[in-house]
Amino acid sequence: MTPKSSERCVVCQIIESRIPSKKIYEDELAMAVLDVNGANPGHCFIMPKNHYPIIEQVPDDEIGRLFQISNKISVAIFESLGAQGTNIFVANGIPAGQTVAHFTINVIPRKENDGINLQWKPKQLSEEEMSTVELKLKDETKNIGIEPEKKAKKTLKTLEPQPVALSEEEETYFAKQMRRLP
Amino acid sequence: MPQEQQELSEEQIRALQEKIKQMSPEELKEFQKKQCIFCQIIAGKVQSRKIYEDEKVFGILDINPANPGHVLLLTKEHYSIMPQIPNDEIAHVFVVAKSLSNSMLRGIDVQGTNIIVANGIAAGQKAQHFITHVIPRKENDGVDFVLPQKAMEQSEIEAIGNKLISALGAREKPEEKQEAWIPETSKKNEVPEFKKPEALSKKEAGKEVKDAGRILSEIKLDDIAKLLGGK
Repeated sequence: MTPKSSERCVVCQIIESRIPSKKIYEDELAMAVLDVNGANPGHCFIMPKNHYPIIEQVPDDEIGRLFQISNKISVAIFESLGAQGTNIFVANGIPAGQTVAHFTINVIPRKENDGINLQWKPKQLSEEEMSTVELKLKDETKNIGIEPEKKAKKTLKTLEPQPVALSEEEETYFAKQMRRLP
Repeated sequence: MPQEQQELSEEQIRALQEKIKQMSPEELKEFQKKQCIFCQIIAGKVQSRKIYEDEKVFGILDINPANPGHVLLLTKEHYSIMPQIPNDEIAHVFVVAKSLSNSMLRGIDVQGTNIIVANGIAAGQKAQHFITHVIPRKENDGVDFVLPQKAMEQSEIEAIGNKLISALGAREKPEEKQEAWIPETSKKNEVPEFKKPEALSKKEAGKEVKDAGRILSEIKLDDIAKLLGGK
């Protein structure tokens, strides 16, 4: 698969200026635009220029860069729009509310009583349920191979986009759920 | 998520303010840590179900989860809000968040995840320690986030967009032509310029934290943070 661009993807069309937008940031890897139907005025979304449908496909160095940009935009929202707060919001997969098959990060300015709700009603789990999910997750996270120092340097220096190294099987697994997206 | 801190009385705030003024930066840091339940968790003084740990971050199961497997990803260093965090740590936190999301999709039979950060009470922040939530999602799981759609006028789009471009700094403007935005007040000049990530010296990093402190005081994160961020 080529992550470069997708003809049918709305986000790719925004990046290539085939759909007009108000750009507020752009570099080699990423672009940020104003959401004109945002949850609040000033709601921005940040996206990689490469076409990655879901977060798992975005290489680590690009993830780092994208969230650094999101943080800068969040600070700019505080400083220039007088927001009382900001949310960074990512939806991976349809059940999580993802509506476009191109990974995006939302940065949302917040004010009291602005009609946005990102809260949840806590679920009551038994000790046993907690232990089960704990063990299952730990079993997966022991494979997380993060080398903090190396990664950090790479994020700042590496500008070349790198294609995702998912096996075909993994790709199918993760991309399957995105098929239903427009 | 733990409940908000108790409200402090006027008198207590004044006394605390006086006490904080006398503290050295080291004492201040120690004080913050003692006040913070999540720093206590990271130090192992309060029990938690740890899912992931490395030298910079600490991931635990939320005891009041949106869904089973909801992880709170904490920075080991005490930061109240995201703007205080150095760039390399930001990158690290979210690379781990991505890995946690991946672990959830593989390990606990869910079909999606949300990654959520709240900066400030208005954004729903309840703890005074920076937290990234990684929440496993399934169809009809009862989690109902509401993000309304508010259409903007073209003039508003231009005005807000240009304010943001201006605050992000001239160096990082898109190359296309853009209309100059005329600041409403001369105070505009006081807005600190963004530093390029690689140019962040120790001194600058300190400054950034101070700036964040100012922001903190504006958004009234909580009583203690307010005092720490004040003059």
